[in-house]
Order: sequence, then structure tokens, then C-alpha cells
Amino acid sequence: MRRPDPRTVRWSILIGMLVLWELVPLTGLLPELFLPRLSKTLHVLWLDLDKYFAALLVTLYEVAIAMVIACGFGIVAGATIGGIAALRELLLPVFSSLYAVPIVILYPIFTAWFGIGSESKIMFAGIYGFFPVMLSTAAGIRTIDPQFLLAARSMGATVYQQITRVIIPASLPTVFGGLRLGGALAIIGVVVSEMLTASAGIGYLVTLNRTILDSPRVFAGILAILVLSVAYDILARALERRMVVWQSAGRKQQDTPRPIAGGAPAPAAA
Amino acid sequence: MKRWHIILVRLAILATILAAWELLPRTGTVNPLLLPPLSEVLVTLKVQLARPLVQEAILITALEVIVAFIIAVPLGAAAGVAIAEFPYAGAIFKPMLFYVFSIPKSIFLPMFILIFGIGFQQKVAYAAFTTAFVVLMSATAAVESVKSDYVLVARSFGATPLQILRRVYVPSMMPVLLETLRISMIFNFTGVMIAEMYASRTGIGHLISNWGENFQMPQLFAGVIILSVVAIAFNETVRYLEARCSTWRT
Repeated sequence: MRRPDPRTVRWSILIGMLVLWELVPLTGLLPELFLPRLSKTLHVLWLDLDKYFAALLVTLYEVAIAMVIACGFGIVAGATIGGIAALRELLLPVFSSLYAVPIVILYPIFTAWFGIGSESKIMFAGIYGFFPVMLSTAAGIRTIDPQFLLAARSMGATVYQQITRVIIPASLPTVFGGLRLGGALAIIGVVVSEMLTASAGIGYLVTLNRTILDSPRVFAGILAILVLSVAYDILARALERRMVVWQSAGRKQQDTPRPIAGGAPAPAAA
Repeated sequence: MKRWHIILVRLAILATILAAWELLPRTGTVNPLLLPPLSEVLVTLKVQLARPLVQEAILITALEVIVAFIIAVPLGAAAGVAIAEFPYAGAIFKPMLFYVFSIPKSIFLPMFILIFGIGFQQKVAYAAFTTAFVVLMSATAAVESVKSDYVLVARSFGATPLQILRRVYVPSMMPVLLETLRISMIFNFTGVMIAEMYASRTGIGHLISNWGENFQMPQLFAGVIILSVVAIAFNETVRYLEARCSTWRT
């Protein structure tokens, strides 16, 4: 018997989960307080669409700024530290040690300093994303093949040409990897901090409805965040593939999501 | 740079940061209410560590971290090895893992609270849930890091599966396995912290979030120092072991 295509199996699993989400509460296997029906969740999402939309806008605004901080500083710092040998020896081990500290414990400090508005979320998510982006950029920038530079130099490339024709294209995969990681972490950081202490945003909406035991609205919020993060991942991945297509000469790349790569950091799973 | 040079420069950087932490609030450059001087924080740290309430909170947090770790590692490792060893399972599940990784796991906290309440079990369940994914991915990577040539050679010499496991898989995976343990512990710790800060009656995460809400900055900084020191100490110990186990590779 031929096994079905993996893609078909994946979609069947997804559809099966959605069907179970509807059927399990319907048949009373789980009380609706624990798991409200999918149809009911979608219904309240539709009823409160403007509320969820407004919350999502706040979250997106915070994510956007946090992403600029995490990716901007992270990529620049990572390229500097990874590219200069002295700095690398001096600082990289220190940063990988500091990486062990759960950054979420700093969040109470940020709320005390910046209040419970957007500022504390942006700062927290920015720093939350900064470290992994910096570490992965520092690790990635070293993978540039020195042979490329040697070849360019022997053919008489000027410094400007070396930068625009060799260094920038060769570091693109690293930079895009950093952007994707930084964005994902910024989303996680903003959602986590909104759930902890906030007065607006989609994470706040989830927590607010949880405290009043309004399960359908909690699950509507969860659904909105799920869609947001998966959509971001698909978008970032498509962009990345398009930009670095020359590296694999258009071949399809087979890789496992590796949280660890030669000391490079793991994307957070908070 | 020479080795002792590096250490000297690092110590100098550390000393500068600590001195700034002490002097900036003392001279009034930074509001001491927002950033209490280091000496004040250290005094508070000593006082807090002597309080039974704090000791109990640390003990509970430590228990939660350990239990969650014991649950998450075998579960995640088994699933990870299965995905790496059975290509069909890998083809189905590997692409899903990308999405799972980018989802903030904290959005499932309300479900854990509804099912387990806000006690010990909920912290353990949530932390184990978040950690299992990290272990799964690292375990897949660990198995895939074993060069298939080694397995082929061993098999050609007539090694039994058990021998292949003991003589090929375990030694080549050892450094990656330790790295897996280290990374998963970071996430495990983070998971317990988030769960405690979100809704809890005890635990050190609950304490620091309370101190933050009550604007008790010396206590808050003392708590952050305790947690950071513990996290870094564990991490460095495993890193040391990692370095010792991977010397044969290079």
C-alpha cells in the first residue's frame, strides 16, 4: 500500500484537530468552560471583531517597534562582534552566559520604570529579541567563506566592490535569518508582556477574559494570536526564500528547525 | 589577545558596571527610587534570603523546575528521535515544527489554569509543555548530527544495533545532548517563571512580580540577582562538561 503524501497527512491532522475542537465540547467529553466549541469561539470573534481588531493594532504597533530594536541593534551588534576577532573573543562567551538568564524576570523592572503602557512592552520585547538575534548573527557572519574575498581581491576588486559584491550578498542569509528570528521573538515578547501586566493589546484581552472565566473570548484571543504568528512565519519564510534563492540555486532546502547550531542560540519558546 | 588579557578586560568591564550601579544612584544622576545603589540591593538580598517566606518560595520554584524537567526531557527526546529516525514521520511533522516554534506558548497559559488551577501542577505542566518542544527539536538535531558514515562502517563490521547505539550514537551525540539539556533548562526555567509571574500564590517568580507591582525596587533587584546567579551557574557547569565531552571531536 502506498503511504499518503505527507502534505495530505498534515492537512488532515489540522482539519481533524478543528473537527475535534467542535465535537469534543459538543459531546460533553470536556466541559465548555475548558474548551468552548470552535463555532462558538468564531461567533464571539465575529461579534467582538472591532474589539479584537483594535487590540491587534496595539499589539502590532508594539511588535513593529520592538522588531526594529531587536533586529536593528541585534544585527549590527552581532556583525560587529562576530566580525572583529578581538571583540569576539572578549564578549561572545559573556553574552552566551548571560543568555541563560530568563529575560522575563526583568519585566517587572520595566513596568516599574516605564509604566504599564506600550513603552515597557516595546523595551521588553526588544531586549527579548536582541540577544538571540545578536548571537545568531555573530555565528552566521563567520560562515562567510574567506575564499570568496580572496578570489575577489585577486581579481582586483576595490574595497567598495568587496563590500557590495561579496560581503553583503554573502551575509544576506544570516541577516534574513536574524530578521525572521527577531520578528518571531518580538511577537512572543509583546504577547507575554501584555499577558503579564498591561492595559491594552491582544494578550491583555486574553488575560482579561480569563479572569472573568469567559472561555469563548479567551479562545478567540488565542486564535487571533495563533493566526498572527503563523502568518508572520509564512511571510518571513517566503521573503527569505526569495532573497537568498541564489544560494541554493533554486533547489528546495531540507532543513530541520535547529534551536542550536554551534553555540548559536535557540529561538525562545516562551 | 592573551588569555589573561581577556580575563582582565572582562573584569574591568564588570567592575565598571558594578561601580556605575553604585555611584549613579548615590550621586543622584539616576533616581535611586528607580535604581537603588548596588550596596543597598545586596543588603536587601541578605535580609530576604533569611526570610522563611522567601526560602519557601525558592524551594517551591526549584521543585517545579526539576519536576517539569524530568517530565519534559524523556517525552521530547522520544518524539524527537522518532522524527529523526523515521523519515516518513519526519516528512509529516518537521514542517509543522517551524510554526510551532514561532507561536508564543504563553497564550496556552489560560488553558493550563482552567485545567490545573494555579498551583504546583499547573506550573509543572506548563513548563514541561514548553520545554518538550525545545527538547524535541534538539533531539532531532542530535540524532541527525551522527554521521551516517560512522553507522555504515559499524554495520559493515557486523556491529549489533545495541553496539551501534553504545559505540556510535551515544559518543557522537554526547556534546549535542549536553547542549540540549542546557538549552532546555533555560526554557524550562523561563516557563516556570512566566507561569509564576502570570498567576500564582507562591514561588520566586510570584514574589518578584509582586515586588515590582508594589514598587519595592531593592527587593525586586535582589530577586533578579538571585535568579540570574542560579541560571548562569547551572549554564556554566553544563558548558564546562560539554567542552570536556567534545574534545575528541576536534
